[in-house]
Amino acid sequence: MRGFLAGVRLQAAIVRAEYDVVLPFFTAPLFTIIFLMIVRHSGRHDLQPDALMAPVLMTMWWLALFQGGNFVTSDRWQGVLEWALATPVGLPAVLLGRIGGIMVFSLVGFFETWGVGELLFGVGIPLEHPLELALTLLATVFAMSGTAVAFAALFVLTRNAITFMNSASFPFYVLGGVFVPIAILPGWIQPVSSVIFMSWSADLLRASLKPAHIDNFWGRLGMIMLLGAISFAVGRAVLNLVLRRMRVTGELVAV
Amino acid sequence: MDGPAVAVDEVTRVFEPRRKRDARVVALDGISLEIPRGDIHGLLGPNGAGKTTLVKILSTVLVPTSGRARVLGYDVVEKARDVRPLIGIVFGGERGLYWRLTGRQNLEYWGALYKLSAARTRSRAQELLERVGLADKADERVEQYSRGMKQRLHLARGLVGEARVLFLDEPTTGMDPLAAREFRSLIGELKGEGRTILLATHDMVEAETVCDRVTLIDRGVILATESPRTLGHVISRYQRIDVEGAEPDLLARVRGIPGVHSISQADGGARIEIAEEGATGTVLKLLVDSGVTSVKTSLPSLEEVYVHLIGDRGLEV
Repeated sequence: MRGFLAGVRLQAAIVRAEYDVVLPFFTAPLFTIIFLMIVRHSGRHDLQPDALMAPVLMTMWWLALFQGGNFVTSDRWQGVLEWALATPVGLPAVLLGRIGGIMVFSLVGFFETWGVGELLFGVGIPLEHPLELALTLLATVFAMSGTAVAFAALFVLTRNAITFMNSASFPFYVLGGVFVPIAILPGWIQPVSSVIFMSWSADLLRASLKPAHIDNFWGRLGMIMLLGAISFAVGRAVLNLVLRRMRVTGELVAV
Repeated sequence: MDGPAVAVDEVTRVFEPRRKRDARVVALDGISLEIPRGDIHGLLGPNGAGKTTLVKILSTVLVPTSGRARVLGYDVVEKARDVRPLIGIVFGGERGLYWRLTGRQNLEYWGALYKLSAARTRSRAQELLERVGLADKADERVEQYSRGMKQRLHLARGLVGEARVLFLDEPTTGMDPLAAREFRSLIGELKGEGRTILLATHDMVEAETVCDRVTLIDRGVILATESPRTLGHVISRYQRIDVEGAEPDLLARVRGIPGVHSISQADGGARIEIAEEGATGTVLKLLVDSGVTSVKTSLPSLEEVYVHLIGDRGLEV
């Protein structure tokens, strides 16, 4: 637990010190404006809540990918990683704390998007199912954290992580149904989307903003948690393997 | 648990090539070493000698290819979790810190990694910042620190966990002479507190000043382990005599004394190398009787031993 808290405190200090961490909070209002203008221009005022949810998920994804996914690699280049491994607290616990911290921080995007929608368009987030909305957001934070752990472990294995990071955002936004529901994507894409937790999160978030009853809420929430837990498990296993291998080979080996 | 603080037994470390065209590197070749508790032990050697590899093995971040190493009785591979709370690591250079955080924030993070409570971490960080002379700069970002200040912060970081064994790898890199002198005095204080210190360094003065014993290492092999004051015996069992103001005919008479190996002259003085027991007294008597008053006897310095054993290889690694 001390390692986890050390990670949370470290990340809080880094967020205060490194302004690039807050970059997605500058882009989220822009995406909010763009998406709201698109749906209003099309006369689909019923999709305005959907347009507000997209920047929220994009902010969370950006922080999971570019921050959480980069923690181990960046510690490695700063020369911190090796010596952190020689301390009594395990690195995975610290990493979980850092990722958990940054993902909870990402929820600022939710309130920011809400504020921008209200302020510029008079469109707020409709709290039709507040409990379901809150639970879905928390489950999404959990699943995003799991995904970030998996990214962090996998990115250590390659020297070209930045290329993946730069190219992975928009395909995942599409496959995850962030703005366009996967139900209207081509049929052959849908099985791929169904194993991406973000598609379940996006659908459930949108459903929780509409007055209609939410079908199978707990089952869908469970899927988000399950896919997040699988990412956690894979990430943790790869990270342990990488760190063990580092002690044997003397380096974090690139593949 | 009794026994040495550090025990290295036939440790070999080989780095296998990742590509076929790369060479296999034997960083440590079956070295054995013991460091008694409370000692300051110097590890001297050129770049690529294996010093950092040994420090990494002892600090549990690297496993040996063969052999065993123990710290305070705990095997660094099998009992790595028991070793980690007992050790502190300080290394030279500017990496290993979060540059955008303050010195205090860095120390508090490392304190948490040593499982100190939040209150203890704060007080320990303040205590160490004062001890290494960074209290006034504690809340400035590390990126604003000079190289020497970063080095002091590294030292504080190594001490944050109350380590009983400290591994210092080129710790005075980048420090100005005064800071390096203060650093050496701090090492003396740490020894006074009963800590054991392994100091990997290139700096002969540093090794000669603070170490109880030094080990010369090159290409993964230990060449000698001795007190820095007696290490000269490795290349000469006998003292040599430095003399000033001796006339050439007097030096010629000295050269004729049995046991005098050679005489070299430079800068108005001469160095007389002795090669036999008892010859030193005879030479000194002749010099003093002849009216020479500036005479000094000594063993070869650590630096001379280093150059003799390692060889003058210029910039070659």
